[in-house]
Amino acid sequence: MNALAWRQFRALLRKDIVMELRTREMVTSMGLYALLTMVVYQIALSQAGSLFNPADIAAGLLWLAFVFTSMLGLNRSLVHEKDQGCMEALLLSPVDRPVIYFAKVIGNLAFLLVVEVLTIPVFAFLFLQGRERGFNGPLWLIPLVVVAASIGIAGVGTLLATMSVNTTGKDVILAVMFIPLMYPLLLAAVSATNAALLGGQAFPVSLVWQGLGIIAGYDAIMLLAAFGLYEFIVGA
Amino acid sequence: MRQLKVALVLLIVGGLMTTAAFFMAFYTAEVQSFGTVTLSQQLDTAYPLTEAGAGGFTYGRPWFSQKIFYFHVPVALASFLVLIIAAYFAVRMLLTKRKEFDTKSRIAMETTLVYVMLTMLTGVLWTRASWGVWWDWEPRLTTYFILTLMVIAYFVLRNSIEDEERRAVYGAVFAIIAAINAPISFFITRIIPSNHPVVFKSGFATSNLIPFLTAMFGMLMLGFAIYVIRMSEERLRERLDAAKTALEG
Repeated sequence: MNALAWRQFRALLRKDIVMELRTREMVTSMGLYALLTMVVYQIALSQAGSLFNPADIAAGLLWLAFVFTSMLGLNRSLVHEKDQGCMEALLLSPVDRPVIYFAKVIGNLAFLLVVEVLTIPVFAFLFLQGRERGFNGPLWLIPLVVVAASIGIAGVGTLLATMSVNTTGKDVILAVMFIPLMYPLLLAAVSATNAALLGGQAFPVSLVWQGLGIIAGYDAIMLLAAFGLYEFIVGA
Repeated sequence: MRQLKVALVLLIVGGLMTTAAFFMAFYTAEVQSFGTVTLSQQLDTAYPLTEAGAGGFTYGRPWFSQKIFYFHVPVALASFLVLIIAAYFAVRMLLTKRKEFDTKSRIAMETTLVYVMLTMLTGVLWTRASWGVWWDWEPRLTTYFILTLMVIAYFVLRNSIEDEERRAVYGAVFAIIAAINAPISFFITRIIPSNHPVVFKSGFATSNLIPFLTAMFGMLMLGFAIYVIRMSEERLRERLDAAKTALEG
């Protein structure tokens, strides 16, 4: 990457972050949505009985919250660009398309990570209290799994959201494309997070590394595909 | 008109071949043993329980459910092939920006949808007969389900875009992404152990190859016939639209 592209990248990223710091719209709406998801979980689990341990499905619940939250955020982030005519201005300026793409991806990734960092303690506070003795896994690997999978979510999501904001269905279209495409990543992320949380004989550490390997492969393939296809999408 | 004649011939030959394969499957093909299937719980199937232990309940595979092999496998292979063809046309469309490749890609995707639905239907029937359940979240079924959802999403995406050029580009991009799934779904049973049989790896009698290949080519011809008929319909519609614009002119 040459110096010019790097400067453009930083300028684009700063634009997104400054806008977010002034309005706080994305993080607030995503965080609130994640919190509301927790309320819905409580309703869903309210009749599960005392033998049921939420820790058994904690990884799945956590990633479910992340998926829905990220869809909301990705849609908002690209709707801004379109409604205020920002995308057109960006395309008119002499910036390489991949630079725009990666700046948007890193911006979305940053907001997603902020929301995830806020959500995990809240989730643990609401659902996992008093069950700490059951957590035998390498807990320090959880942040690694979260970051690796979030890269894939932000990368693919930014590509798909760029497409979906130009359709009449917007968020529905994003969900219809996003969830099937995310499937392998989410499955690996849930498996790795679960093993990192519960550990023990049933979920050895090798499961975490296996999951991380799948996530890394998915990230590489999908970012490469998105890198090649983004130019066609913004050009149409 | 010539295209419709070609399509008619393909339709008749393809139909005859699949029908012939149907009779061959029941009269000339040997009954293949597929070993056993292990389920996590005991289920109400008509087939013999050979072993019950800590690993699960093992059933012998029923002989007649094997007959679906001559329809389910050809139609599934054809669906992968047509999806790859749709993605190929999508790549050509992105490179040349010509509208005809967009139409070709879309028609190929429509054929894929028909074949994917047929695969799902025959697969679900076989699953009930062989595993005792209509559906199981095992690797092949899951990846194929994802593939089905993506093919449906392709049409949902197209229908919600008004601008013609944009619809063509977005459709092409999504067709390429969806096609990445075809090889994954094909190879997954060869990588991850699953209950879904891998017939060509586990040995295959020569007398079964003839009905299989007959059905395979029959299915491909039927698929090509659907494609040609829909293409000629699209061309007629385009000519009609052009004539309308000229008259209003």
